[in-house]
Amino acid sequence: MTIRPIVGMGAVAATGSGVGELFENLCAGISGRAELRGFDRTRFRAQHAYEVDDRPAVGEDVPGRASRLLHEAIAQAAADAGLGEDLSGIPILVGTGLRELRSLELWWRDGSPFADSGLHFGTGLRERFNADVTHTFSNACSASLYALALGSDLLSQEGEDAPDTVIVAGVDVLTESMYGLLERVHPTPPDRVRPFDRNRTGVLMGDGAAAIVLRRSAEDTDRVYGHLRGVAVNCDAYHVTAPSPEGIAQAMRAAHKLAGVKPSDVDLVMLHGTGTLLNDEAEATALADVLGDDASVPLMTAVKSMTGHTSGASGLINLIVGVQALNEGRVPPTVGLDEPVEEAAPFRFVTGQPAVDQPLKVAQLNAFGFGGINAVAIVEGIR
Amino acid sequence: MTAQSLDTTVVVTGAAVLLPGADTVRALADGPAAGGAPVEPAAHVGRKGLRYKDRATQLGYALTAAALRDAGLLGADEKDGLSVPAASVGVVASSNFGNLDTVARALDTIREETVTATSPMDLPNASSNVVASSAAIRYGLRGPNLMVCNGETSGLDAVHWAATMIAAGRTERVLVLGVEPDNEVVRRLLGGGHAVDGGAALVLESRTAAELRSATVRAVVGPYRRGAADSAEAGRRWQLPEHLGTASGAHGLLQVAAAVGLFDSGESGPVQAVAGSADGDARADLLLLAPRAA
Repeated sequence: MTIRPIVGMGAVAATGSGVGELFENLCAGISGRAELRGFDRTRFRAQHAYEVDDRPAVGEDVPGRASRLLHEAIAQAAADAGLGEDLSGIPILVGTGLRELRSLELWWRDGSPFADSGLHFGTGLRERFNADVTHTFSNACSASLYALALGSDLLSQEGEDAPDTVIVAGVDVLTESMYGLLERVHPTPPDRVRPFDRNRTGVLMGDGAAAIVLRRSAEDTDRVYGHLRGVAVNCDAYHVTAPSPEGIAQAMRAAHKLAGVKPSDVDLVMLHGTGTLLNDEAEATALADVLGDDASVPLMTAVKSMTGHTSGASGLINLIVGVQALNEGRVPPTVGLDEPVEEAAPFRFVTGQPAVDQPLKVAQLNAFGFGGINAVAIVEGIR
Repeated sequence: MTAQSLDTTVVVTGAAVLLPGADTVRALADGPAAGGAPVEPAAHVGRKGLRYKDRATQLGYALTAAALRDAGLLGADEKDGLSVPAASVGVVASSNFGNLDTVARALDTIREETVTATSPMDLPNASSNVVASSAAIRYGLRGPNLMVCNGETSGLDAVHWAATMIAAGRTERVLVLGVEPDNEVVRRLLGGGHAVDGGAALVLESRTAAELRSATVRAVVGPYRRGAADSAEAGRRWQLPEHLGTASGAHGLLQVAAAVGLFDSGESGPVQAVAGSADGDARADLLLLAPRAA
């Protein structure tokens, strides 16, 4: 077991920019849901999403938004950790579901300028931060926790070239193709994200980015927000879109083992909770199995009910919100969760009002992606 | 956790290549002639299961099967399954152009008709990691599964991350895959050029795991570096013949596969794989050592 301090954090989503604003809004139950802003709505049955409201005009999309949000989150985290704006030599690991595919779409149909060097984030990070050790991982909805696993592996390396600081980030914005294909597979077009609710209609996408600065040790750091205790990653090898409760449960058990925690040690679970028809039941089944007799011990919440499904960013948004929750003893509610599905019956969901004055120490973060790629992390607060 | 020992050396125990004009690492090392026939995935893995899969995924299947067989991990018949535990094999795939055709086609349908006219079968292919996850599903590889889409250096970065996960004890071996399909979207993006429409795959293992199953070591993975500075000459460099087109995310894997071909043919000095450029995003280089030299 190796414990790594988290020394800087940054985030942006439909519900706010900056870790403090985002967390306050989530605790207040404020949702980022709105009518589609960047697409021609007449092409779609679903009409809503959880977008960051940063376009020059409604209905008019602009290229490069994923990079812009990513840069914003990284700049926040780097400043927070006192790294400054020159990030040369510092590994930056970016998890994403959809890269800059929205910019590709705007090039393909609307003729905006684009080159293949703009599909991934390295070129923009070099221009903006002089960063040259950059990696874009396109690992669907578990991408940023996969990136976190690799970042922690880098910090465990020995030798003179081994880094002592790593930036891990996640980002995604809506693409027309993914938004459309996702709603296409729903019998009724989804209207809002209601994780774990019996009457949910499915998933809707959200824009978001998050970044953290992770260090080898807490020496020479002013502030530590929390500690990463371990991240486990695996693959169901089962189906391209449907999840497997067995594969998810294995990832959870592996994370507990890596982190040296027992199910009864987990005080808070930041659920993946996408509101997708099959996925919430699969996550609940796996979690109930792993927690066993302790299934009613931890508080649980799913912030996608307010941020939408931010895909590759979502794992790290969960981490940042989870760390804030541990340190403040406050947990944002799951909005729109009225009647939990049967598989989630034993769970202690936070609904309605935020939970406050909670003694919380250890949080589990879940992220699962298309192709059955699962990632589970365990973090510890500093309270 | 899987077996972890003090020896963090990572070795190559299997390699495969599929390009027009080359289907062995030796043919690749020699430099494929122009005018080779396009790769037919069905000729390598049969037609079953290829429907609804995009070109990159189909190429990935064929390369995965060939590399696993070359490493002695998969029998002649796919149904025989793996000779090692499923969780002991991870996947790292590299591709930049992999699913661009699906994205463009779905978008065209949405714009010209409506979302109702799109095909639900396109949903998995719209996710850029479909190459990595599909290889895992078809061949039952349950270790960590990673898709690297990192521009010009992507293939060498993929080898680096596979080696990193092995050294960290996350998995004993990784199937590393690099493919780039050629199609209308890619050609327009490349301003008239074309992509290689093929790729290469490797099996990387910890030396300990390779020794335990008496696998033949074909190359040893040496130091990797990514950064803005140019790298010093450290070994023989193999060049991809220009007529094959842009290799992009497959470029690094093709260079490593060519290095294995050179070592198989008796080369004993190091081979240096390089990708990207110092004035662009960044440059990556990786040193490959002959089996007995390390």
